[in-house]
Amino acid sequence: MVRVHLYGKLRRFAAEADPRAESVAEVAHRPGDTVGTVVARLGVPLAELGANVFVDGKYADLASPVEDGARLGLFPDDMQLLYKWYFRPKADPK
Amino acid sequence: MDRLLRVNMTDRTAKFEPIPSAYASRAGRWLTSSLVHDEVPATCHPLGPRNKVVFSPGFVTGTAAPTSSRISVGGKSPLTGGIKEANAGTGWGRRLARLGIRAVVVEGQPERDGGFWMLKIDAKGVSFEPADALTGKKLSEMVPGLAARYGGRDKVDVCAIGVAGEHKMGAAGVCFTDREGRATRYAGRGGLGAALGSKGLKAIVVDDSGAAEVPIADKAKFDQGRKKLAAALGEHAITKPKGALNAYGTAVLVNILNEAGGLPTRNFRSGRFEGATKIAGEAIFAGNKERVGKDVYNHPCSPGCIIGCSNTWHKRDGSEHTSCIEYESDWAFGANCGIDDLDQIAELNLLCNEYGLDTIEIGGTLAVAAEGGVWKFGDGKRAIELVREIADATPLGRILGNGALVTGRAFGVTRVPHVKGQNMPAYEPRAIKGIGMTYAVSTMGADHTSGYTIAPEILGVSGKLDPLNPQKTDLARNFQYATAFIDSTGHCLFIAFAILDIASGFEGVVEECAGVLGTDWTMNDVARIGKAVLDLELDFNRQAGFTAADDRLPEFMLHEKLPPHDGVWDVPDEEIDRVFD
Repeated sequence: MVRVHLYGKLRRFAAEADPRAESVAEVAHRPGDTVGTVVARLGVPLAELGANVFVDGKYADLASPVEDGARLGLFPDDMQLLYKWYFRPKADPK
Repeated sequence: MDRLLRVNMTDRTAKFEPIPSAYASRAGRWLTSSLVHDEVPATCHPLGPRNKVVFSPGFVTGTAAPTSSRISVGGKSPLTGGIKEANAGTGWGRRLARLGIRAVVVEGQPERDGGFWMLKIDAKGVSFEPADALTGKKLSEMVPGLAARYGGRDKVDVCAIGVAGEHKMGAAGVCFTDREGRATRYAGRGGLGAALGSKGLKAIVVDDSGAAEVPIADKAKFDQGRKKLAAALGEHAITKPKGALNAYGTAVLVNILNEAGGLPTRNFRSGRFEGATKIAGEAIFAGNKERVGKDVYNHPCSPGCIIGCSNTWHKRDGSEHTSCIEYESDWAFGANCGIDDLDQIAELNLLCNEYGLDTIEIGGTLAVAAEGGVWKFGDGKRAIELVREIADATPLGRILGNGALVTGRAFGVTRVPHVKGQNMPAYEPRAIKGIGMTYAVSTMGADHTSGYTIAPEILGVSGKLDPLNPQKTDLARNFQYATAFIDSTGHCLFIAFAILDIASGFEGVVEECAGVLGTDWTMNDVARIGKAVLDLELDFNRQAGFTAADDRLPEFMLHEKLPPHDGVWDVPDEEIDRVFD
């Protein structure tokens, strides 16, 4: 099981969408899962996903592996703020 | 012709002087730090007669450049004992710039305790007026009346200190009026309000009626620049209308930092707060909508801002409780004090605005006081009483009003998260090593704004941006150079969100400045100017007695593991010392 914590407009992919609560979607884990495969199974459009993606609190990107039991944090494209410059993935060619 | 206004509080005289030629192309932080470096003896007592408080609007403040109404305030900090520049968004500096005043230098001190005075600056000149009747009051009660006396908020803006400044407390900020005349915008950090209080200067009212436009040497270049910047701000997802800042304010960061495990909680004991979602920007937006009955988007704090990130929080009856609950203030009273109730956070924020206190320092101080057994984390009612006690200047109130380090000493607390006597803001250095490096070497003490802005690729810094990787030397240095430049332009630091993603926006900023001043600056001058500012500040601090030993994070962070990552501060001292070598 992967617990996906969703924020902003992505909260609609969880049962609890109140912005004052925790919006958590549970996704069954599959071997070889990455952020990209979990996001796809959840149905989150990539265009709405920002650069602030965390796996167990560590900055991640779509290719990052996701272990069974992981906590995934997803922020939308309009909620990434400056913080992303601290966390630009090393793979990012920019 | 730009002038410098020198105000002597010893004999209550004021005179205009030409800007010295060496300062011809300096403004904002560059000019305040130049004047403090060149005129203030670094070893002086910050509350004594030889310290000075310097105000300067930025290069483009007062022009049509978007989001450029920042005023820099400088001096020797009563909190850190080092140099300080704090800035605020307000129409006050804009009016000063339109009057052709590039800097105000407040110096001297009444020889005897001579009560408080205020200053009125307008196109005709400067006058002193007694201000004892303005003291001891909440700023929301005092400032609007004062503005009304001089023609109202359309005509004047007000700079004032609160009771904390009157009592010369280390956490006293300098307050300015916002676009609606609220006394809520702060050059908050470092205790410069206490320095003004020590000089007996309670308020400065600026009326720019009849002033000419700010002269622009090369109008075509300036216009080209401001249009590029406006386009970048208008299109970027973070800064555009109804974008992240306009909708959620800076408090959108609460959830992000919490997810990253870098949201300091209960005096930096954890990087995650279980109540984060209840106090974050999204919760503020949802709560306001419920109480006001419609979407409440944020507003500009100052004239000419097209980002509009300043929020309001509303009471149950829909009336306004406070403005503005910034990320830092939200965190300081929320996660760091273990309080998850936005109404209590709003009340603490309001009281700091009323008394003229820095919210970051006071939130940090309350957390240290909780650590010392003065109150219990999470008890918002008691926290509110304690902040009231600061205004009453009881012995306990005076301890708290002098900040986290003094409070830690008073109550035997070793876990004081500070650098150079200034409490850390809302980013955990054990989880985000880059910001830890900034805290360590900043000339300002632990300060997130002194190195928070610049995309590494713009300054040509290479990779290694894994936040848990301790090699941050180049990053910390170049971030600080770029910030010092932006702090000199008069622009709000938040333009960085857009101009780091959209290169033409950054070019636009440089062209605006070059257009106003008539210089041939290009992007290549950004780091040069930033370095010039930092070199002055570093030299002042060296003369004040600071050494490498002061560029260190507190000892407990070296060995105490921070959940959830269980990291410690492990950046080697040699690496810290190389930043400004």
